[in-house]
Amino acid sequence: MIKKENRTNVDLITRYTDQPAKMPDQTREKIEKHWNNSPIQLYAIADLDAMMQLTLQWVALGEKTLAIVSVDDQGCESIRNIHLAMIESLVESPGLSNTTLTLLGAPGDPPLAVIRYTQRQRRAMENIKFLIEHRIEGHDIDQAEEPDELYSKAVTSSIRKAQASVAVNKLAVVWRLVAYLKPYKGRLAFGMGSMVLLTLVSLLPAYLTGYLIDNIIRPFQTGSLTYSSAMHTAWFIIGALVLTYLVRVFSMWIRLRSMSVLGELVAMDLRRNLYEHMQGLSLNFFSSKQTGSLISRVSSDSDRLWEFIAFGVVEVIWALIMLVGLGTVLISMDWQLGLILTLPIPLFIWSFFVHGSQMQRMFLRAWRKWSAVTEVLSDTIPGIRVVKAFNQENREKKRFNDRNVSVVDEFNGIHAVWTKFWPLIIAAVHILTVLVWVFALPRVLDNGSALTIGTFVSFLLYMGMYLQPIETIGMMARMLNRATSSAHRIFEVLDTKPEIIDQKEPIKLEPVQGRVTFENVTFAYDGIRQIIKDISFDIKPGEMIGFIGPSGAGKTTLTNLIVRFYNASSGRILIDGVDIRNLDTGHFRHQVGMVLQDPHLFHGTILENIRYSKPDANINDVVEAAQVANAHDFICKMAHGYDTIIGERGQTLSGGERQRISIARAILPNPRILILDEATSSVDSETEIKIQQALDRLIKGRTVFAIAHRLSTLRKATRLLVIEDGRVTEQGTHDELINKSEGTFRKLYQMQQQLHDSYVV
Amino acid sequence: MLITQKKVDTVKETVNGLSTDETLKVERRLDGQLWAGRNGDATAVQVTRCFPWSQPDRFISLRDDDEKEVALISQLSDLDKESRLSVEGALIEAGFVMQIEKVLSINEDFEIRHWKVLTRQGDRSFQTKLDDWPIKLPGGGFLFRDVSGDLFFIDDVENLDEETQKHLWAYIG
Repeated sequence: MIKKENRTNVDLITRYTDQPAKMPDQTREKIEKHWNNSPIQLYAIADLDAMMQLTLQWVALGEKTLAIVSVDDQGCESIRNIHLAMIESLVESPGLSNTTLTLLGAPGDPPLAVIRYTQRQRRAMENIKFLIEHRIEGHDIDQAEEPDELYSKAVTSSIRKAQASVAVNKLAVVWRLVAYLKPYKGRLAFGMGSMVLLTLVSLLPAYLTGYLIDNIIRPFQTGSLTYSSAMHTAWFIIGALVLTYLVRVFSMWIRLRSMSVLGELVAMDLRRNLYEHMQGLSLNFFSSKQTGSLISRVSSDSDRLWEFIAFGVVEVIWALIMLVGLGTVLISMDWQLGLILTLPIPLFIWSFFVHGSQMQRMFLRAWRKWSAVTEVLSDTIPGIRVVKAFNQENREKKRFNDRNVSVVDEFNGIHAVWTKFWPLIIAAVHILTVLVWVFALPRVLDNGSALTIGTFVSFLLYMGMYLQPIETIGMMARMLNRATSSAHRIFEVLDTKPEIIDQKEPIKLEPVQGRVTFENVTFAYDGIRQIIKDISFDIKPGEMIGFIGPSGAGKTTLTNLIVRFYNASSGRILIDGVDIRNLDTGHFRHQVGMVLQDPHLFHGTILENIRYSKPDANINDVVEAAQVANAHDFICKMAHGYDTIIGERGQTLSGGERQRISIARAILPNPRILILDEATSSVDSETEIKIQQALDRLIKGRTVFAIAHRLSTLRKATRLLVIEDGRVTEQGTHDELINKSEGTFRKLYQMQQQLHDSYVV
Repeated sequence: MLITQKKVDTVKETVNGLSTDETLKVERRLDGQLWAGRNGDATAVQVTRCFPWSQPDRFISLRDDDEKEVALISQLSDLDKESRLSVEGALIEAGFVMQIEKVLSINEDFEIRHWKVLTRQGDRSFQTKLDDWPIKLPGGGFLFRDVSGDLFFIDDVENLDEETQKHLWAYIG
């Protein structure tokens, strides 16, 4: 079965690239036949030939062979197989917009293959390179995903990253948005009904004016109606006009109120759904999206949808009803004059559309120039000290002025176009008016004609009404684009499925004892590059474990797996002997405390921040937690004590103070497992001692996992695990590892000691 | 003047790290790699232009597998003919960008701009972010970077056909 994500990636390749969405079945069969039916594990496209021309070449990797399939202009394929055993090394040479991968055999021999590709293919080719390199090193990798999936995912990764959402049928997006109106059917009907009423009523005054002229004023002037009869009917007409205006004002009020409230309600529902859904999504989702992009979906996109629902939809429907209504009234009043006015309508709509497109293009150019102006501002204002220090004020003034003039030129160009367009439209309307007069007047003056002066006046009044709906319809495409784009950005988040899902009847460990077992755990964020490679260990309750190793070795990933921020790609993680995937994740995480290198504190009081981990904690527990965390003293020294409001992200506190509050927060629920990820690495020595004292108090009676750069801080660890390249390469107590000659830990420890001796007086 | 003198020394020192321009030998060997060195003490290297757009023929950095600079060639003419040809050959690959000859269409989609172009290297579709604009290069011409990081170069817009110029009007100039 094809997964939805893969289907989307295939769609993206088809829509946006010139390359195949997957390897053709015949090619695949042909390669596998060459390999005695051994399956293709990964494939990619090498899209540059030796002459650096774009081409199509498939590169497929199997268990023992790499195949390079060249496709000539006639579509004929030639396959070249290279046994992986012959490859001794790979050399990757990155260029400006390309990479050359050279497969080398024995030293001095000609290369086994030279594969060239553009940046678009880089990720898929890197997957292949990664697997080959691991095989050269003698490691094998379990590959969970299908080669088609990995290929399409790799090729589209940059598009998916740049494009928050996947382009689909815009109308489908609108219908999906319309579904959000369902709970508010009554309000919607009320608003739409008022809008229809408003539109129809708007047509009445012109009609009444014509009626007044033809049936009252003219008969009175010709003497066929007496003054009293004329006035009697006139009062009715005036009454009807007043009533029309009243109904119009009332329905306008109802329409505006109903639809703006409706828009707010729908936007609120979308925001709520979006935020609630985001809370359930896995960390993978958040690491793949920019924070600003996610925030704008909740704020500005939902706001834009409110505007669309409250005004956009209504205006378009109003414009359509108005045009149909006007056309019907005009043709029914006098079909000849009616046609003069209605036939040019498509031409008007087209001219608005063309003008809109032209303006969009001009605005695009102007916005580009405008961004050059803001670029200078964002460069120089934060860097004003540098500007002044190098005495470059005049240069910056010139840079700004040049761009400022350039942007004004563009906007003047825009003004030149639209200021011409509107008079031209008005001129066209005037021409129509003249035409109406030319055709109408002889018929009005001709006594035998059916065209009355009242009908003629009504026509003139209707003419003033039909320009606005035409303009609205002309702008519809742009409005629809903006709204569907916003709706789609929201729906994309709503359609993302959480990766961590609890089973139907999850197990609750009450309480967690703290035994943590890794059984052959492997993990890759992207399905290919394994960060954790076949790791096994068994930690007993109450042990303190130190993870040591270079940056990028996989230490933090291990702790992320312990709290199930991610699921292991293969192998099992057991908590007190129970597979972590069978646990109630929320309940389990409640019994785990985490202290991170950069503690995130929320806007609010210190009390609220400490209580964040246990909102119902009593005040004694809060103070006790703060005391244990060595935070109580500095908190009480503040004028507002625990009620001190800390700024956004706790920036009014020093790093060490924030860290101690985060420790108090972590220990308040009395967690059975404590994770300390570089908890003391970003603070000064004095603060570190205080934090270390606090941590020493905390570790008693809990299973603790600590990651620390300063190895001396892990002296109290029961065991140390040295992690290198995703594997446990050494383990033992501090003393055992120190005494291990040629050991990594020993080397690291000695290096730190030397650094300490050299720089600390 | 002290600063200028020091700068010159630094460059010279780097050049002297393995070999000077005069004695540096660069060759493409049978294994397909570029080797640089002196007196047979050679290292496999990759070439990088320090000023790819403003001074493409000057300051070519030769780097080993660990990306450590082995030599800095201040100008290609300092090398002997064979070495120069080898470096020039390597620079063709290292400096590869697709050169746009015709723009067929530019369309806006959700958050990206979709381009269909004919390049000197073949037909290509690519995407840029809506707020990514072409870069005006110091040596002339414009450079577009697509979402994958691929680069598309336009040398002189005025030499392109009218339709292409019309397409590019909003993005260039």
